Amino acid sequence: MIKSFSKLAIAGAIAAGMTLSASAMTIGYVTKSATNAGWIMINQGATDAAKEEGVTLVTVGPAFQGDLSSQLEVFENLTAQGVDAIGVAPVDSSGIAPAVDAAMAAGIPVVAIDTGVSGAEVTSFVATDNYAVAVIQGQEAAKLVADGDKVFYVTGDQASSTGQERRDGFMKGFKETRPNSEILEVPTKWNSDEAQAGVEALLNSHDDVKMVVNAWDGGTMAAKAALENLGYGAGDVKLVGFDGAADAIVAMDEGWVQVDTAQMLYQMGYQGIKTAVKAAGNMVVDKRIDTGTFLVTPETSAEYKALIGM
Amino acid sequence: MSEATSNNRFARLLAGYFKKDWSGALLAVVILAIAIELVTDGKPFFHPSNLMTILNNSAALGVIAGGMTLVILTAGIDLSVGSVMGMIAALVGYVASYWGFPPILAILFGMALGLGIGLIHGSLVARFGMPAFIVTLAGLSIWRGTGHLTTGAQATPKLDSVFDFFGRYNPFMPLRQAFRDGSLPDWLMPLGSWVDANWVAYFRTFQMSLVIFILFFIVLGLVVKHTKLGRYIYAIGSNEQGSRQAGIDVRLYKTLAYVVCSMTAALGALMFLGRAPYAKSDYGQMWELDAIAAVVIGGTSLFGGRGSVLGTFLGVILLKLIANGLTLAQLNTFWQMVVLGMIILLAVGIDIVRQNANPEKIKQVLFAVAAASLFFASIHPIAQFVSAQLSLLEHSHSASLLAAGSNLAPTQATRLLEGDALAAVQAAASASWIYALLLGVMVVLSFLTLARPNKPTSLMAIGLLVAAGILLSLGGWPGVPVLALGLAALLGSLYTDSLFEQARQA
Repeated sequence: MIKSFSKLAIAGAIAAGMTLSASAMTIGYVTKSATNAGWIMINQGATDAAKEEGVTLVTVGPAFQGDLSSQLEVFENLTAQGVDAIGVAPVDSSGIAPAVDAAMAAGIPVVAIDTGVSGAEVTSFVATDNYAVAVIQGQEAAKLVADGDKVFYVTGDQASSTGQERRDGFMKGFKETRPNSEILEVPTKWNSDEAQAGVEALLNSHDDVKMVVNAWDGGTMAAKAALENLGYGAGDVKLVGFDGAADAIVAMDEGWVQVDTAQMLYQMGYQGIKTAVKAAGNMVVDKRIDTGTFLVTPETSAEYKALIGM
Repeated sequence: MSEATSNNRFARLLAGYFKKDWSGALLAVVILAIAIELVTDGKPFFHPSNLMTILNNSAALGVIAGGMTLVILTAGIDLSVGSVMGMIAALVGYVASYWGFPPILAILFGMALGLGIGLIHGSLVARFGMPAFIVTLAGLSIWRGTGHLTTGAQATPKLDSVFDFFGRYNPFMPLRQAFRDGSLPDWLMPLGSWVDANWVAYFRTFQMSLVIFILFFIVLGLVVKHTKLGRYIYAIGSNEQGSRQAGIDVRLYKTLAYVVCSMTAALGALMFLGRAPYAKSDYGQMWELDAIAAVVIGGTSLFGGRGSVLGTFLGVILLKLIANGLTLAQLNTFWQMVVLGMIILLAVGIDIVRQNANPEKIKQVLFAVAAASLFFASIHPIAQFVSAQLSLLEHSHSASLLAAGSNLAPTQATRLLEGDALAAVQAAASASWIYALLLGVMVVLSFLTLARPNKPTSLMAIGLLVAAGILLSLGGWPGVPVLALGLAALLGSLYTDSLFEQARQA
């Protein structure tokens, strides 16, 4: 199955790396997903950085998105194979900690990408500050509605730190100026069917909703589908996204999405692997690298599209 | 005299009802629906538009669970349905978006893929004798991988509106449109204006998803009941050796079960596409578990030969009802997970008790329902007391760590309470301790009644529930309506023995 494939891939890639050039470094990259649109961009950044640096990148991931046990297994395999550094996007911030500790103890630098590790030291943490971006998302969303308007919020997985930070940040940013708005939550585990079914359920009993804010753009597209399913048109209910995924930007051009807070996804993968290479070469790296954000609105969408090559 | 006969008829009706494989699932659906209605006061859970939304959102998973029922009835299993659904959804979208397939051809292509995959699984299981669990576990991985590989795991552009006929299309839409344009013939005008006026309340959520879902189950029910395929599937599931000796072509009918199952996965994929924003190969993750859960909740035995299509229908509704109701109630996500598990246990628990038809066991279940309802009704005061006590404990632990001179982790530092917060927690603890203590004792006592299910304990439990109700309303706590469920169960327990007696005589 996928796990054993990844073991083969590790063995094969390391063997290939050794025969091609004895001096080339091997960097392990443990991703969170190979199929999610956002993660495809992060992974692309990682691949490009490795190519530029001339190192061998061994990319492995969990058997399915969110599966901690298989991610732990591939991580431990990388440690055992003795790669020069590991870039990891943890499925679960504290679940991955023991494996990170073991790698660091074995002298392998570990760079956390996108999601932090709690309960273990890492060499560097390369990510957008989710909380800070979500505060901006909340402040921008607040400008779209009046105080007292009803709003839905599609949450991410509340068992992951990314999901918690995005929710808390949004609530803080939004409530600063709209303290009297009722916020109804649609809980998900980063799963677009749950988002769609939840938004449909709430729309039936809360016809007076003015805006749907989403913790990630899979949720944005699901909320759009839910609105379409019930016969709403573009702009009838405002949509606010998070991630700046390509399909959400297309929806913005069609008038569905009003604001999207984009993380610099490609930069996260790119800088993450660059940092891992530096650390493997015993260079000093910053403990925390913020990859920044981009506020996408209909006015700035052209600039954003040029930036991500859309 | 007449009262006795009507009692007799009631007993017979009740016994007849509980003979059905789907009775546990129906009872669980009803209990849950009433509980959700009580919790979501003011928000219309029982409103037709919400009930239709539940059906719409059950549809794609529902048809797949229908196919799964046939496989499980043959004592097999199909773990691949989620992956097959995801791959077919992605490929249908892919050929329609990038290869210029007209929608109809793309749809036929999807169904043909389902047929092909079903033949592969079925042949491996029925002809080569490989265990179904292994074959379809391999399928789970192979088809998901194939879906990602062939489409690059990328989303397609928006699909043609023909796909809407499998999902979001509303059969009343043309009528409403014509009414709004004024192009409706005169004799239809009253109907048009009525539909338009009640659009949001009744018609907006009447969509093809639920129409196909219900039609599919009617057809599947007829097939299972009235065709050779249905009868042979039950026969094979209950005794494969015997079926072979009786001249049934076991290989053929087992293969057919897997073919139907994969084709329902294909239909489920089309129905999902009819509601989804685009086609993508990661659709349907973990659906195999939801489908199997729906079948088992519906009273179908994992060992084959016993179960029903109607039960599966109810099982799917139960799963989606939970998700819908808990979202409407705005219950915390982590609680949703706990409640989901407990409701599955309840549905399957009813089924097990139903099968061994022992009045003692039934009374124990009724007592358990009453004890659980008392527990849930008391949860507010108990939780307030316990969480206040825990906050105090965590505060004093962090404070003592600080006093001992150790560094606090950020998550430990947040446990320290400032003056006002500390006073508030102490006040909460002292306001709720008496209620928490009394109710806690009552909950424990009500669970103890399980040990001796007889008339005095029934009466004692009724007394406990009434006392708890008085206590809760004295303290102004919510939760009294939940006790009604427990009281109904206890009143039922008083009559269990006599009903059994009458059912035996009848």
